[in-house]
Amino acid sequence: MATTTPGLQSQLMTLNLGPQHPSTHGVLRVVVTLDGEEVVEAQPDIGYLHRNFEKIVEAWALPGVIPFSDRNDYLAAIANEVCVCDAIETLGQVELPDRARWLRVLFAELQRIISHELWYGAFGMDLGAFTPFLYGFRDRESGYLLMEKATGARMLYGFNRVGGLRNDVTDAWLKELEAYLDFLDKEAWPEYMKLLIDNEIFVLRTKGTGVLTQEQAIAWGASGPVLRSTGLSWDLRKKRPYLVYDQLDFAVPTGTHGDNYDRAMVRMLEIKESIKIIRQVMKRLPDGPVLGKARASVRLPTADYYARQESPRGEVGVYLVGNGRPNAYRLKWRAPTFSHLQLVPLLCRGVKVADMIANLGSLDVVMGEVDR
Amino acid sequence: MSLPRTVWNTIKSVVIGHSVTAREIATRPITVFYPEEKPEFPTGSRSVPVLKVNEESGYINCTSCGLCERTCPPGCIDIEQAVDPATNKKKPWPHSYTLDLSHCMVCNLCIEACPFDALEMLDVPELATYQVQDLKFNKEQLLDLWKTGKAIRIAEGQPMPSN
Amino acid sequence: MNDVLAAVLEAIAVLCYVALNAFVLIWLERKIAGHIQRRVGPLRVGGPGGALQSLADGIKLFSKEDFRPGGRDSLVWWLAPLVSMTPAVMVFIAIPFGQHLIVHDMNIGLIFIASISSFGLLGVFMAGWGSNNKYSLLGAMRAGAQLFSYEIPAILSTIGVVLAAGSLSLETIVAKQSAHWFLFPQILGFIVFYIAVLAETNRTPFDLAEAESELVAGYFTEYSGIRWAMFPFAEYGSLFTGCALATTLFLGGWHGPLFLPGWIWFLIKTYILVFIAMWIRWTLPRVRIDQLMDLGWKFLIPLSLVNILGTGAYIALVR
Ligand code: SF4
Ligand code: SF4
Repeated sequence: MATTTPGLQSQLMTLNLGPQHPSTHGVLRVVVTLDGEEVVEAQPDIGYLHRNFEKIVEAWALPGVIPFSDRNDYLAAIANEVCVCDAIETLGQVELPDRARWLRVLFAELQRIISHELWYGAFGMDLGAFTPFLYGFRDRESGYLLMEKATGARMLYGFNRVGGLRNDVTDAWLKELEAYLDFLDKEAWPEYMKLLIDNEIFVLRTKGTGVLTQEQAIAWGASGPVLRSTGLSWDLRKKRPYLVYDQLDFAVPTGTHGDNYDRAMVRMLEIKESIKIIRQVMKRLPDGPVLGKARASVRLPTADYYARQESPRGEVGVYLVGNGRPNAYRLKWRAPTFSHLQLVPLLCRGVKVADMIANLGSLDVVMGEVDR
Repeated sequence: MSLPRTVWNTIKSVVIGHSVTAREIATRPITVFYPEEKPEFPTGSRSVPVLKVNEESGYINCTSCGLCERTCPPGCIDIEQAVDPATNKKKPWPHSYTLDLSHCMVCNLCIEACPFDALEMLDVPELATYQVQDLKFNKEQLLDLWKTGKAIRIAEGQPMPSN
Repeated sequence: MNDVLAAVLEAIAVLCYVALNAFVLIWLERKIAGHIQRRVGPLRVGGPGGALQSLADGIKLFSKEDFRPGGRDSLVWWLAPLVSMTPAVMVFIAIPFGQHLIVHDMNIGLIFIASISSFGLLGVFMAGWGSNNKYSLLGAMRAGAQLFSYEIPAILSTIGVVLAAGSLSLETIVAKQSAHWFLFPQILGFIVFYIAVLAETNRTPFDLAEAESELVAGYFTEYSGIRWAMFPFAEYGSLFTGCALATTLFLGGWHGPLFLPGWIWFLIKTYILVFIAMWIRWTLPRVRIDQLMDLGWKFLIPLSLVNILGTGAYIALVR
């Protein structure tokens, strides 16, 4: 609490960080109680982006849910689509062609790269370095261009269908993708490291700050890079393989201390692993159709299913309940960053204001997903 | 970490970081001067679903069946069936067909749902307006758009035209 | 009477130069930032390279609504931009641009600059206090701590120069460097001084007082229009004077190997230092407040003391 020297009175100060603030990653409001520079308490206040996703989709036929689910984690739209498709297909027993399986992995990994590039830029910005932000955006834009060429939309794709993908990709596009990966691997990634991650100021700012222990991470339901940075190698792509991840060879980067630096490093290494995965997929991509037969109207049986997948931010989950109609009886969306946001009071107690911003940035919250 | 190492690392990383930015100063900017100079828009970007005219008959294909209206997730299509004023019987074409592009998420589902091939997705890169009401298109406007715009004609499961 | 006229003319000349300099520096900063980030920066106003962009911005800022925050401390709030701008302009008086090209050569020039430039802190603090805004207050507190602690290494690092030159007059200091620059034995002093200048002018990696991602805009959050413009004006003014002072003290001022006029040499060296400051700004992340304090008190001050000792020993040995 406020330190009081005899004769000098000091007061706690309540500061509303957001919803309009340069670094709250969307419309997040954090009510911060400050003792000078030190954060006494930080309470995130969510709901500014609430769109009533879960209730609305109960009224919609299932194919319409897929493009709407893009809007949840709008920085990794494909991850949402693939997960909700997985739920619908498993419950509705829709066959998925082989090529679609592989292509979904390809797009999901490309999306992971794009999402981490954005995170890199935004995190640099949170730490006061403006230039990494534009480098991250530059490369993200090339990635989005590739996505747009393949899917017909830049950011919110509406690309997956129940039972496959809407469009196929050509060899020419795969060549372009290959060039992009080469650029990323040889030029962009080393540049990211040199400019920001290896910088000593960055290291001093992030090492030992925002430390999350493994027990805390598990207790608070953290997943994805936030959980892996604490040293637990928990990746649904390995532990509960879906699509064709069990046939692919990749490593799961983990940290040791669970601090901001480890979270950053895990994400940077994941970019590398994703590049590796995409290369393998391109090599082994089978021929055939990308869209199965029965798809126009899918009816769910009276049953439920929980589909969970590894999105760039962690475990995204779709709990789907059917009751014999063409729409969902109930759909519950598990957003990884919703759990991560609950860590903010824990991580930010007693830190400096600057570190609070860094902690927020390293959790990589997306408000579209938190508020749904 | 000991002080000398921190100092050394700082000097080293600062020099390396500056070499990166120095290299970037020397390379060409990637800015495209948008209004004067158009970037290369990827063909096949979904922009607006419109009614189309059947080239053989010269009429629109739409029978006002209402399937697209029901399929559209956000409900941005509004169809009113034509009625013969003399007999009060319903006619198989739309009296009005309104699309609210400001709600549309350009998901292509209406086109896939239409059994009469009456709709088409257009690739119009510049559709911005100053008023949100201007994004509400009626039948005539949709057909005008179709006449000027470039249609994306790809069957499902086929690659996009630009890749 | 003639004295008054001369003073007025001098003031006008200094103000014109400061204004021109701020315009050029702001344009330069935006150009450099642009090219580092693979953009082009300002382009459309005033011929190739958008050279008149700052002028256009100035006109825009002049014509903006005069917005005043509610609950402000009126007088303090109103005075703050003026108070922070005045010292930035006054420092120009004592800087020797070339031989005899100085407004006033005082025999205490260095002390004059050190004491005047610390007034800038007052303006910053008034802005933060008077705005009745929590971000402003935090920014002002940070600025207070930061500017105060970096005054000390800045002044300490100049003592070596004073030792070597045996004078506080800047013109004498430059004249003493005709044989060799003071940079040579006092490289440490130069580095400390330059870092302190960066910190005192609130530039990344020390831009905590206006840290955009944390404090929105720090102490000038609540200012707009021409009142706001005075802060960057002052900031770029003091960036220039800081670099000019570094040139004067360590890089031989107007002395140069070629037969160019002295003031050109002076400006070249100063603008190179300014360019480096901008380059640093667009490369490095920001430090935290406690790291900033550590750097100032535990690293730069000892280093500048070492520099004084070293210089003293050098002088004693050489003479
Ligand atoms: S594209 Fe999608 S949102 Fe737009 S009108 Fe068609 S079905 Fe509705
Ligand atoms: S589905 Fe086709 S035919 Fe039916 S109303 Fe819509 S556009 Fe007309």
